[in-house]
Amino acid sequence: MNNIIQNILVIASVATALLFLIKKFFWKAPKQKKACDKDNCGCH
Amino acid sequence: MSKQINVALIGNPNTGKTSVFNALTGLNQKVGNYPGITVEKKEGICKLPRGVKAHIIDLPGTYSLNASSLDENVVIELLLNKNDKDFPDVAVVVSDVENLKRNLLLFTQIKDLEIPTLLVINMADRMEYKGISLDIEYLEEHLQTKIALISTRKKQGIDNLKQLIANYKDLSITPCLNASEIDKNYFDSLRKAFPNQLLYKLWLVITQDVNFGKTDRKTIDAVADFKTKSNTDLKRLQQKETIKRYQFINNVLKKGQNIDVSQAKDLRTKLDRVITHKIWGYLIFFAILLLIFQAIYDWSSVPMDYIDSTFASLSEWIKMNLPEGTFTNLLSEGIIPGLGGIVIFIPQIAFLFLFISILEESGYMSRVVFLMDRVMRRFGLSGKSVVPLISGTACAIPAIMATRNIESWKERLITILVTPFTTCSARLPVYLIIISLVIPKGRFLGLSYQALTLMLLYLIGFSAAVGSAYILNKILKIKSRSFFVVEMPNYKLPLFKNVALTVIEKTKSFIFGAGKIILAISILLWVLASYGPGDNFNNAEEIITSQHRDTPLNDDELQQKIASYKLEHSFIGLTGRAIEPAIRPLGYDWKIGIAIVSSFAAREVFVGTLATIYSVGSDDEATIKNRMAAEVNPILGGPLFTFASGISLLLFYAFAMQCMSTLAIVKRETNSWKWPILQLVIMSGFAYVVALMAFQFLK
Amino acid sequence: MQDTLANIKRGEKYIITDVSASQIPLKLLEMGCLPGNEVELVQVAPFQDPLYLNINGSHLAIRKETAIHILIEKINE
Repeated sequence: MNNIIQNILVIASVATALLFLIKKFFWKAPKQKKACDKDNCGCH
Repeated sequence: MSKQINVALIGNPNTGKTSVFNALTGLNQKVGNYPGITVEKKEGICKLPRGVKAHIIDLPGTYSLNASSLDENVVIELLLNKNDKDFPDVAVVVSDVENLKRNLLLFTQIKDLEIPTLLVINMADRMEYKGISLDIEYLEEHLQTKIALISTRKKQGIDNLKQLIANYKDLSITPCLNASEIDKNYFDSLRKAFPNQLLYKLWLVITQDVNFGKTDRKTIDAVADFKTKSNTDLKRLQQKETIKRYQFINNVLKKGQNIDVSQAKDLRTKLDRVITHKIWGYLIFFAILLLIFQAIYDWSSVPMDYIDSTFASLSEWIKMNLPEGTFTNLLSEGIIPGLGGIVIFIPQIAFLFLFISILEESGYMSRVVFLMDRVMRRFGLSGKSVVPLISGTACAIPAIMATRNIESWKERLITILVTPFTTCSARLPVYLIIISLVIPKGRFLGLSYQALTLMLLYLIGFSAAVGSAYILNKILKIKSRSFFVVEMPNYKLPLFKNVALTVIEKTKSFIFGAGKIILAISILLWVLASYGPGDNFNNAEEIITSQHRDTPLNDDELQQKIASYKLEHSFIGLTGRAIEPAIRPLGYDWKIGIAIVSSFAAREVFVGTLATIYSVGSDDEATIKNRMAAEVNPILGGPLFTFASGISLLLFYAFAMQCMSTLAIVKRETNSWKWPILQLVIMSGFAYVVALMAFQFLK
Repeated sequence: MQDTLANIKRGEKYIITDVSASQIPLKLLEMGCLPGNEVELVQVAPFQDPLYLNINGSHLAIRKETAIHILIEKINE
C-alpha cells in the first residue's frame, strides 16, 4: 500500500514538473509573437 | 459590491511618484506587465475615507505626453482610451516642489484631456530649506485643480491626499489654457472634421501615431476635407505648444511661487563638485562597486552556510522519519536539495537589489551616467548604457528593458547585445560555490581573496561587454542620430520603505520565478538519475557484488559502489557520457556536463543540478559544498574541482549565453531573431574556447 | 555677445537667445531649454563632455554636439 501511494505521488509530481516546464518555455512563445507584430514593439 | 475608483499616478521621473504610490498602498501592491509588452505595471489598492476603495496604477515616469519611448507610450494609451478597464476616474499628477515649473508642463497637458486632475506637490519638507513659498489658493484657482501638499519622507499630508482623491467629483475638468491658439486655422479645421472628439486628443493622436479606440492617425489622414501637415510642420507646432504652455506656467508661478535665493542652501553643487570630479568621481564609483562585492560575498556567507546545513539535515531527517519508498527518495534527493538550491541565494540577491535600489533612489546613478558618457561613447555606447550594465548585475532582463531610454538606436542595439556579458545574479550561485571550492581562504588588505576573485569576475564580464561593444561599433553600419538628455535629480536619502519594497519584490520574483523552474528541473533530473534502461542499471547490485566478491568491503562501501554504478548507467548518466568527449578538454566530467546542459534554460540551475545528481549518488548527510569537494576526477584521480577546472568553469559561465529568458527578451526588444541567435552562437562559442584555453594552460 | 552653449563658462549666468529647433530633441525643450530662460554651467564631465547645466531651475546633462545648436548670451550684472 505504502509503495503504491509513494509511486502515485512521484508520478504526479513529475507530471506537474513536466507540464510546468513545457508551459513555461514552449507554450508562451507564439503568444508573445502576436503582441509584437502589431506595433513593431516600439522599436525603430 | 463596494465602490471602487481608478486612480492613475502620473508624473516626471524623480518626483517621488513611487514613494507616493508606496505611501498609499503599502504592501497591497503587485507588479506585473502590460499585456503583450514588457513595461512594468505597478498597481495597488488603497482604502479611502467613507468606504471608497481606490485601485491605484503607478504609470511610468514621463516628462510630457509626447512619448519618445515604449514606457511613455503606456501613459498616453491609457489616458486616451476611455474603454480601457483601468481608465482613470481621477488622474493624480505628482510633482516635486523644487521642479514645479517643469512638472507643471505635464500637468497642463493632462488637464487638456478633461480628466479630473489632482496636483500633488511632493517633498514639501524641503521648501524652507530651499527658500520656497507657495500661494496654494492662488495656484488652485489658476490651475483649476485641488493641490495636496505632501511629504512622503515626513509622512505628512497623506490623509489629506486620500480625502481629496475620495472627493474627485469636485475636481474641475476645464483645461487651464487654450493650446489651440498656436495655429487657429489648423485647429478649426480639425474641429470641423471631427466635431465629436476632444481637440487635444486629436492633436495627440496626430503627433504620436498612437492607437486609441477606432480613431488613429490613418483614419484622420483619410478624411478628405481635412489636410494634415508635414512632420516638420508638426514638430514646429509641438514646439510652439511647449513654449505656450511654459508662458502660462511662468505667469502662474510668478505670483503663486516665491523663491528666496538667499535662503536656499545648495548642498547639491558642493556634493557634485566631489562626486562628478574627474579623479574623485571615478575613485568613489570604484569604491562603491568594491563595497557591493564585499557585501555580496562576505556578509552573505553567514546566512548562506546556515541555510545550506539546514537543508542538508532536513533531507536526512526526512529519510529517517518517513516510510521508505520512491516518494521519500524524491523528497530527500530531488525536491529538498532543489529547494535548498533556491533558498540559499536569497541573501545575495537581497543584498544586490538593496545596493542597486539605493544607488537609484539617491540620485547617484545619474551622476555615473554623466561621468561615464564620454568614456562609453568611445566604445559605441552611451552614458545611459551604464545603467543597464549595472542593473545587468542583477538580471539581464530588466537591464535590457532599461535600454529603452537610450535615444540612439545604434547605441541601444549595442547595449542590448553586450548587456548579457555582465555578471547577473544567476551567475552568482555558480561563481560562489566554485570560488569557495578552488580559491584559497586568506585576506589581502582586509579583503578576502575570494571576494577579490568575485570582483575580478565582474570586471571580466564588464570588459567583455565593453570590448565587444567596441567591435560591434566598428562592424555595425547603422546610421542614427543620437540625442543625450539626462536629468540630474537632487540627492536624496533613500526612503527605507521604497528600498525595502524593491528588495522584497525582486527577491520574491526570483524565488517564485526562477525558483519554480529550478524545482521542476530538479524533479525531472531526479527521475532521470534514479532510473535507467537495460541490464546494467537493473542488475547493478548483482554486477557490483560479483565484481567485489574477493575484495573485503563493508556494507556501506558496497552500497556506495552500487549507487554510483547505478547513477552511471541511469538515463542521465548515459546522456552525460555521450557529451563527455566535448567537455573533457575543458576539465569537466559528465556530471558537470549534465549541469551545464540543464542550466542552459537558466544558469542558477547549475548548482541545484549538481546537488541533485550528487545526492542521488550518496546517502550521507552532507552540504552541497562538501559533496562537490569530495568528487573525484574519474580519470586523473584527485579532486574534480581543482584550480584549473574551477577557473575553466568560472570563465565558461562568465561568457556563455545561458539564459532562455534573455534570448526571448532580446528577440522582443530588437524585433528579430537575428540578434538573439547571433548572441547565443558567438557568446557560447567564445566561452568554450576561453574555458578550453584556461584549463589546458593551468592544468 | 552671442555664443553657443558649448562654450559656456562656469560661474557666469547666461540667457538662451535661440535654439535651432530641428536639431535638438523636443524633450530638451520640454525640460525648459527655451529662448528667454536662464542657463548656468554646474559641472563639466571629464574630457570636457557632457555638460551639466542648470536651465531655468532644471538640472540636466547634454552633450556638446547638442549644445552647439543652442545660442546663449552672457548676462552682465
